[in-house]
Amino acid sequence: MRDRQTELLELLDKSGANLYALLTRLTLREDVAEELMQELFVKLSNSRHFDKAGNRQAYARRAAINLAFDWRRSQKRNPLRLDQVREPASNDSSPLGKLVRTEELDEILNAIGRLNRSSREALVMRYIQEESYDYIAEQLGKTAHHVRALCSRALNRLRDVLGHDQRLSFEKEKHNVKK
Amino acid sequence: MSKSDENQIEHRLKILSQIEPSSEATGRAIQRARDTLINEKSRQSSGTRIWRTVFKSPIAKLAAAAVLLIAVGYATGRLSAPQPLDMEGLQATLESSLKSSLEPAIRQDLLEEINGRWQSAFAAGCAQLKEELQRQVRRDLTEFAAQTLAASGTLTNQRLMELIQLIEATRWRERQQIEAAFEQIEQEKILLGNGLLAVAAQTNELLSTKQ
Repeated sequence: MRDRQTELLELLDKSGANLYALLTRLTLREDVAEELMQELFVKLSNSRHFDKAGNRQAYARRAAINLAFDWRRSQKRNPLRLDQVREPASNDSSPLGKLVRTEELDEILNAIGRLNRSSREALVMRYIQEESYDYIAEQLGKTAHHVRALCSRALNRLRDVLGHDQRLSFEKEKHNVKK
Repeated sequence: MSKSDENQIEHRLKILSQIEPSSEATGRAIQRARDTLINEKSRQSSGTRIWRTVFKSPIAKLAAAAVLLIAVGYATGRLSAPQPLDMEGLQATLESSLKSSLEPAIRQDLLEEINGRWQSAFAAGCAQLKEELQRQVRRDLTEFAAQTLAASGTLTNQRLMELIQLIEATRWRERQQIEAAFEQIEQEKILLGNGLLAVAAQTNELLSTKQ
């Protein structure tokens, strides 16, 4: 049996960049993604299930997705202090555009965080990591058809969640204007 | 839900998928994770190397399982067994509880015992005391009687002496008086004789004259 740390080092070399990119996309913060990357490998190093996992790469990706959404939930409970705010990761160059874009992305990421675990994983892999259905099916241990259905349901749920949130914010705005 | 909303969601997801961290940040994150893993490895390897060497053979594994079972049994026994006594605490608790529960009874018993002893001692001593008192009284009475007798004897003697003296004095005085009376009688006898002689002389002279 090979040493777990060696396997993890190999995994880091092979998938480290992808995992870090995934964490950055899900947190929109490079500094937080770096922290979570370290936490991810510490967790994998101490995890009992890692050795039993058939696909270590998929296991690491699932753990990364869960870590990122756990962080988002903890951020909702404990809002950032001003000194903790860093510039969000975004490809937009103008400051206003960056702000609006970040707001929109936060909104959709929070909505994804409200999906169940399997739908969230399938959606993230399909639409954020842009993996094929076959690859996702292989990684999740499901059929491609099942993954397609999962993604479809996840999108519908996402529309519902976002539509409900937008209606709520619209009502709030209308109430504030009337005041 | 409208088609535009759906497009908006897909557009946002597309933007998310296009976010790429900088190569410096990626390198830094990977290096940090690597350093952490290496530190973890060096920390754990020192502890696990010996065990891995030991547990290579199945006999060692069986022995370890047996030791583990014995340890579990021992721990269960220890846990199910009564806990070691906290002697000081127990002593203090027992002391206080015994003091509170037994002290009045002990005190009562002690008082009763003292009373009994006193009573028995007093009963025994009472007879002795009575006898002693009787002896003392008898002795005192005897002494008093002796003293009284002696005193009365002395007094009687004294009174008798006084009486004797008084009698003697009275007798002497009476004798003196008798003596004085006898002397007076003698003197009166002499005077009578002398008178009688004078009468005789005168009678003779008268007769002589008549004659």
